[in-house]
Amino acid sequence: MSERLTKVEFTNLDKILFPQPKITKAQVIEYYIKIAPKMLSLLANRPLVLTRFPNGVDNEGFYEKDAPEGTPSWVRTTKIYSETAHRNLNYILCNDLDTLIWLANLAAIEIHIPLSRVDAREKPDFLFFDIDPEPPASYEDAVAVALSLKEKLDQLGLTSYVKTSGKKGLHVLIPIVREHDFRITRAFVHKIGQHLTKELKIVVSEFAESRMPGKVFVDYLQNSHGRTMVCPYSLRVTPEATVSTPLEWTDVKKEIKPAEFNLFSVVKLEKDPWKGILENRQKLEVK
Amino acid sequence: MEKKLKTPVPRRPMWTGSITIGLVNLPVKLYPMIYDRGITFRFLHKLDGQPLKYQKVCTKDEKVIPWEEVVKGYEVAKKEYVIFDKEELDAAKPESDKRIRIDKFVDYFSIDPIYFDTSYILMPDKNNEAYSLLLTALQKKGKAGAGRITLRTKEYPAIVHAYKGSLVLTTLKYAYDVADPHGFEELKELKEPEKTELDLAVKIIADLSGEFDITEYKDRYRQKVEEIIEKKVRGETIVVEKPAEEEVKGLMVALRETLKQLEKK
Repeated sequence: MSERLTKVEFTNLDKILFPQPKITKAQVIEYYIKIAPKMLSLLANRPLVLTRFPNGVDNEGFYEKDAPEGTPSWVRTTKIYSETAHRNLNYILCNDLDTLIWLANLAAIEIHIPLSRVDAREKPDFLFFDIDPEPPASYEDAVAVALSLKEKLDQLGLTSYVKTSGKKGLHVLIPIVREHDFRITRAFVHKIGQHLTKELKIVVSEFAESRMPGKVFVDYLQNSHGRTMVCPYSLRVTPEATVSTPLEWTDVKKEIKPAEFNLFSVVKLEKDPWKGILENRQKLEVK
Repeated sequence: MEKKLKTPVPRRPMWTGSITIGLVNLPVKLYPMIYDRGITFRFLHKLDGQPLKYQKVCTKDEKVIPWEEVVKGYEVAKKEYVIFDKEELDAAKPESDKRIRIDKFVDYFSIDPIYFDTSYILMPDKNNEAYSLLLTALQKKGKAGAGRITLRTKEYPAIVHAYKGSLVLTTLKYAYDVADPHGFEELKELKEPEKTELDLAVKIIADLSGEFDITEYKDRYRQKVEEIIEKKVRGETIVVEKPAEEEVKGLMVALRETLKQLEKK
């Protein structure tokens, strides 16, 4: 190579990570390189949780929080004490393109981020509604629930942003000013969920009901310290290599299926529906 | 791991003589200045590791010919040679008169670097006042003395100019040693650029303008090979890295595009 564009040393580029359709690690890396301009600001300063599948998604994968052995010195990490491991873990921060490429080269298919940033981990800057349909409820039901949720949030004067989960569900987020702790944001999201149950029979708002067949759970529990959500534009471990894709609200339709948003198609989308989300932090009035 | 390459300071002059300007003589010593620091290898016999040497072999009967029986020939027609022996050629060589003859002074920057061949450091020989005088005057006017020098029996056009507080002699190529781009048909078909496109190109150039710093460029092949040599000396095994595969090339295309987009932000 006559010039050096990245610090990352690529390895095993021809390894098949998704068997059907055949997608190699080179293609996964290429996806993350191409999506980086839209994704990087959403990753910045958030200690990451990865799901890695070095031998492809049909083989065993693993969660990873602790920066693996051989992490290059230029990758930024932050020490966080783990209650379960009883020791400090070196969480990876992805604040630049090289780190994102390095993660892709590790076959970190899914990248998950917390709802707060590293400098104030107790103070979330997102409210997160995880709309999760339980079969036989489907994506179409999740769409109906998401649209009524948006209506409700609009009435409250809150601008919300929506993305596919990459599986059957939808994720709705509201960027907020960092002033409340998770207890408060969680209670707020929970309360909205409870309101929705009154309007739509299909919605359930309590964890105990979450696996009831045919229902759509508006999950508020992810608004907790140490919890994460799949990062916008992260690939998912699905056969179609789907992507958790930010959408315009006008594209949240029953006819547009989540599987249409995948490694091949998402890089071709010109719109950036979440553009400016981090500058649109809203003040949350709690009584 | 990056080994710092020291710039050599030559010990012995390779030539002594004088710069002559009209009737004035300025005695100088000439030191080598340009080095090719590339890595060199020796050919060995793979089976026993013994160094190999070149031999002159007759094209007709494959016999090895000793040096005493070798002469030079100039091919005047197919397989027809005019033969020279060493004495004949030596007699034709110009005598070095130990002078750098300066004919005139020109603006240093008016000489296209295409013609620069190789450079030598000039040091004062005994009298350093005259050296200092010429150096200061050249620096002040941004000029170079143009003339000729005979080195190792070949005569070169040459300039004497200031470089980092010293006088440097740079030999030049003859005009006939440099190809003329006008020989290319392609140039005759060049289109005038559109004004808007030209404005954009000029803007890009302005945006990317910077100071040139030669130390930003490193010989990465040399560094890599030196690392491997160290490892081999330590007895480590070497993993041969595959050169850029097709896949990597594809990634580089994507990377270039993304870097461009991130730049804009």
